[in-house]
Amino acid sequence: MKLFLFLICTLFSLVRSQGNTLVLLDNQVIRETHSIFFKSLQERGYNLSFKIADDSSLVLSKYGEYLYENLIIFAPAVEEFGGTLNVDTITQFVDDGGNVLVAGNSGTGDVLRELASECGFEVDEEGAFVIDHLNYDVNDEGQHTKLVITPDNLIDAPVIVGSRKDVKPLLYQGTGILADPENPLVLPLLSAESTAYSYIPEQAIKEYPHAVGRDTVLIAGLQARNNARVVFSGSLSFFSDEFFTAPVEKAQGGVKSDVSGNRDVAFAISQWVFKEHGQLRVRSVKHSRVGEEKPPSAYTIMEDVIYKIEIDIFEDGEWKPFSADDIQLEFVRIDPFVRTNLQKKGKQYEARFKIPDVYGVYQFKVDYDRVGYTRIYNTTQVSVRPLQHTQYERFINCAYPYYAGAFSMMGGLFLFSFVFLHLKEDEVKKSKGD
Amino acid sequence: MPQIGSVISKFYTEYNTKTPKKLKVIDAYLLYILLTGIVQFVYCCLVGTFPFNSFLSGFISCVSSFVLAVCLRLQVNPENKSQFSGISPERGFADFIFAHVVLHLVVMNFIG
Repeated sequence: MKLFLFLICTLFSLVRSQGNTLVLLDNQVIRETHSIFFKSLQERGYNLSFKIADDSSLVLSKYGEYLYENLIIFAPAVEEFGGTLNVDTITQFVDDGGNVLVAGNSGTGDVLRELASECGFEVDEEGAFVIDHLNYDVNDEGQHTKLVITPDNLIDAPVIVGSRKDVKPLLYQGTGILADPENPLVLPLLSAESTAYSYIPEQAIKEYPHAVGRDTVLIAGLQARNNARVVFSGSLSFFSDEFFTAPVEKAQGGVKSDVSGNRDVAFAISQWVFKEHGQLRVRSVKHSRVGEEKPPSAYTIMEDVIYKIEIDIFEDGEWKPFSADDIQLEFVRIDPFVRTNLQKKGKQYEARFKIPDVYGVYQFKVDYDRVGYTRIYNTTQVSVRPLQHTQYERFINCAYPYYAGAFSMMGGLFLFSFVFLHLKEDEVKKSKGD
Repeated sequence: MPQIGSVISKFYTEYNTKTPKKLKVIDAYLLYILLTGIVQFVYCCLVGTFPFNSFLSGFISCVSSFVLAVCLRLQVNPENKSQFSGISPERGFADFIFAHVVLHLVVMNFIG
């Protein structure tokens, strides 16, 4: 019996658990047409629960606790979610740290549009496709909507989409997304070629298309302020088995590949959105005077300080030391008084500097915000006091004239009083005589 | 020019004959304070303000001594007797010493 339990335990520990994931589908067919994508998730340890999007038994949380850590919505046509699921509960789920992967298509329903706009994206009108008359695949059906996208259009962030150089050309068929370029939290993971536009293919173009050229975002990502991640793809077929295995050939020639790069990019994006990649944390922060171990209750101006921080990255299921050479430390009293690079020394980052000649309440601040990585914002407050009365320099050489001046005033006073008092008597007589 | 010369010489003789000796002593003391102050100021201009507290206390000690001595001179001067009717020269001198004690305590504390 014990052996049996032990075996079960080892079995469970071998399978890395990545958390429960709810997968919402339009119909069970999608489960088959996207089987490679789902299978890769299951192999990486995700526990997928497949549900139809308007299933009346849908719940995200029970008794105030979330049943799932991640949510995949591969249900473009859904007009309203079943059960307790709606846009509000999903946004609340994101606010509470849940990750969401959504794929739409040209017929994206209202509820997904609303969800997208909550995340800072805007999905183009119903029926609209991204069209590109110069960069379509040979297997296109005549409307030039099955696009060949070169990897140069991926965001330059290997942590999200993998290395751009190694990626094969991508296939895309779906609607366009507009992302607010002013919004610093939204990332255009994949954007269209400059010759693309988003419009309804059957209609003559009467108005200016909503999204034109490189402004047309195909896959948009969001890393919220609480580091929850949301990815919205305008194409459900981007993740399909058909596109994963299809050969790519641009109709105009030039780009050709036996198999598309969709699989690599889709896997990389799923790893990013479910926080397998680019997740950072601060393990420990230490600061002290140089040569001491423990932080003092207050620093004094002009002291040499050493600051150490350990930053970890989540990789292959465990936290490992993170290495980068662009992490900065700021010593801030309203404005930064010191800004210095942190040097990696062994497992931790270290900076030494001299406290400025200004006293007050300061913060050691590490603000590390890089595309694709969790934002690190760590502050430690310390007070810096002026020199104590006994700590000032005494008997400074160049101040001797001033000392002499002050003492000569005293000596002068003494002599003067002496003379003044002794002159008195005969002065009084003289002044009376006047 | 000769007028200015005559003014100065007249002033000098008047000062020599009419000013009480006591006031002349005070004037000599004032001159000494003034010179010490000027020397310190010139030194500060040359060397810079580094021990600024020392400079301030040295210089302020001169300035205040000067002011106190001028006050004493006003009170002791027999011509001002009507203005300081209730204050005898002895009382004026005692005030002067008291003010100096306070002044030098402050200066020694601040000089560093």
